[in-house]
Amino acid sequence: MSKNENKVKIMPRAVVCEDSNIRGDVTISSGSVVHTSAQIIAESGPIIIGENCIIEEYAKIIHRIPTNHKLYQENPEKPHVLVIGSNNIFEVGCTVEALKIGEKNIFESKSYVSPDVTISSGCVIGAGCQLFGEQHLTENTVIYGKTCQQREALDKQGSHMLQLDFLRKILPNYHHLRKPVDIKSKTTFATSTPK
Amino acid sequence: MDFFLSKKIVEYACLCGVLSPLTKLYFCRHCLNLRCAFCCHHEVDSHFCSNCLENIPSSEAKLRKNKCNTCFDCPSCQATLSARATSIQVPMSTKGEGGDETDEGSASNKMVTKKMYYLACLACRWTSRDVGISDQTSQTCSWPEQEYFHSTRFQLLSEHFQAVVLCDKEEKQDYLRRKTVKTSKFPSMTDRTGLTVASIRRQIGFDKSAPKAKPKPTNITPSIATSEVEDLPDEIFTKPVNLKNITTIKQRLAQPANQPETVKHLYPQHKNLSIKRSLRCRHCEHNVIKPEYNPSSIKYRIQLFASNHVPEVRFVKADPFKIGESASIILKIINPTINDMTITIMDLPTEDEEKMAIEEMRKTFDKSVSIATKSSLTPSIMRPSLIEDPRMVDCKITGKIELPDSSFVVNQRDDSAEFDDDIQGDRQDPRFIIWRKANKVEIKLNVIPCDGLKKDDDIITGFTMQFTYSNVHTSTPEKESQGLRHALNVRVYINPGKISE
Ligand SMILES: [Zn+2]
Ligand SMILES: [Zn+2]
Ligand SMILES: [Zn+2]
Ligand SMILES: [Zn+2]
Repeated sequence: MSKNENKVKIMPRAVVCEDSNIRGDVTISSGSVVHTSAQIIAESGPIIIGENCIIEEYAKIIHRIPTNHKLYQENPEKPHVLVIGSNNIFEVGCTVEALKIGEKNIFESKSYVSPDVTISSGCVIGAGCQLFGEQHLTENTVIYGKTCQQREALDKQGSHMLQLDFLRKILPNYHHLRKPVDIKSKTTFATSTPK
Repeated sequence: MDFFLSKKIVEYACLCGVLSPLTKLYFCRHCLNLRCAFCCHHEVDSHFCSNCLENIPSSEAKLRKNKCNTCFDCPSCQATLSARATSIQVPMSTKGEGGDETDEGSASNKMVTKKMYYLACLACRWTSRDVGISDQTSQTCSWPEQEYFHSTRFQLLSEHFQAVVLCDKEEKQDYLRRKTVKTSKFPSMTDRTGLTVASIRRQIGFDKSAPKAKPKPTNITPSIATSEVEDLPDEIFTKPVNLKNITTIKQRLAQPANQPETVKHLYPQHKNLSIKRSLRCRHCEHNVIKPEYNPSSIKYRIQLFASNHVPEVRFVKADPFKIGESASIILKIINPTINDMTITIMDLPTEDEEKMAIEEMRKTFDKSVSIATKSSLTPSIMRPSLIEDPRMVDCKITGKIELPDSSFVVNQRDDSAEFDDDIQGDRQDPRFIIWRKANKVEIKLNVIPCDGLKKDDDIITGFTMQFTYSNVHTSTPEKESQGLRHALNVRVYINPGKISE
């Protein structure tokens, strides 16, 4: 896959602002919202973002397997797909390089997650927390505070459906949007790769 | 602002000899001197809760153990908890429970939404549901208090010791009373006959207070120390530890009464109260800092911060220092007052001069203390203030400043002048002034490193800055007659860098 090729697939009902920076093979599932100046960069392989995710301003989702990573050293040629589950929230200014992300996670503002981390579901990475080193976050882990303390929440975090509805209503009034894939006529916005 | 002032590059010496940056100093306008935090009394003005801003009288604060009744801290991360509302559907409560099935069916049709509240932490997302506290119907209603295993024991102990203290006090008073009677120079008739007023009263049967038994401390079973400790459970070395369930030391110490070991026992903690603090000059007992009483106000009634009264010296830049060669440093001097200042830069006092000044200060302190105890300003209960013992400045000068040959004027602060572009160029400035704008002046001084320095040694230099200060606030007539302008001295120490070669 050449890096310059942009194959952005936006499903219906997804709201993606035009000023966002999306590079590589990226699929944004229906119901998700991508704000302006968010960055989604698929360098080492495709990114598939699940339903009802919110990607806020200056959030960075990067799919870039470092050369010293286990996956790269095992087989550098093997394509890897970054699948991001549904109902994730990427808050303002977070940088997420994790290669596996489950559902209902919240990446708070200015947090950082390195490629060595795998994230299950219902986790919260607190504001400003930086996660390095190979580790797996079990379900409902909450990382918080200056020293990145961990605790386990009883439940998954509450739903953000109200916020999503609000954003889907309000964003089109103020921003140019990228056109989603038109399923009926089978013409796509970026490329016409059949499924 | 505090960022580059708090770096210990330019420091001012307080009278007591402690060096601190200007932002940490106060200026007593009655003594006309710098005061550091050691030279001020710190007094608690009022207690308040920083979350709900409720003002709590100090006696009540003591009763409440300096904690707010309504606000809570997160037991997990010590941030303030906030109440969150959820709405739940509950059947209309028309009848008591235990109705038959058809009744229940009809009741479920009439559902009402009811608001329930729980406590949640916005920082670490801890909620009161995590430890099984049921939701409450009102936001401010009393959350269930945690019960402690030892609370009754502590209650008993505290009662016991209160009684002991009371007993002690009474005995002491009794003793004093008897003693004063004996030493009285005027023996009364009853004394000679062996009859005291009390004994007469007792004989007549007049006395009501006599049967009053002295409060005796209640007996309490003393604690017994034991050296036998329970054995550790067998699986302690084999069972893997889940650190997420174990509390940190900080979390344990935040709940001193029960110090939970697992996160299951973390419980919302009542928020600690904050105080408003006023500072009082130890030399003249006048306030230097007095905040407004209202907890929601961040203003002061009296605010004598040194940075509002004393010219600020900022270090701008310096040439590289070389052994035995003079290098120039550039300092910026800012006048924060609304009056022009004339500034003279002089040598620091020599060691002997400093010692003499300290001796003199000590003498005047002794005098002022004796005056202060008599003066009406201090209530009789207040002890005479202990004045911080002055000492030598703990700072060895390693660079000598070539003094400028004349004094100079720094213009007043004028907040509107920032918007004027015209540069006043008509003033004939001495040569060492290299820049001037509004209330700021930049001066260039030469520093000669002392002999015997090596590479990478710190250069520390300093000067005594004399400035004219106009005391616009004085209300006392005696001071007005003295004239409003004073020439004041402060000692400034600067660390402009290291010797580069
Ligand atoms: Zn002091
Ligand atoms: Zn409160
Ligand atoms: Zn918390
Ligand atoms: Zn004073």
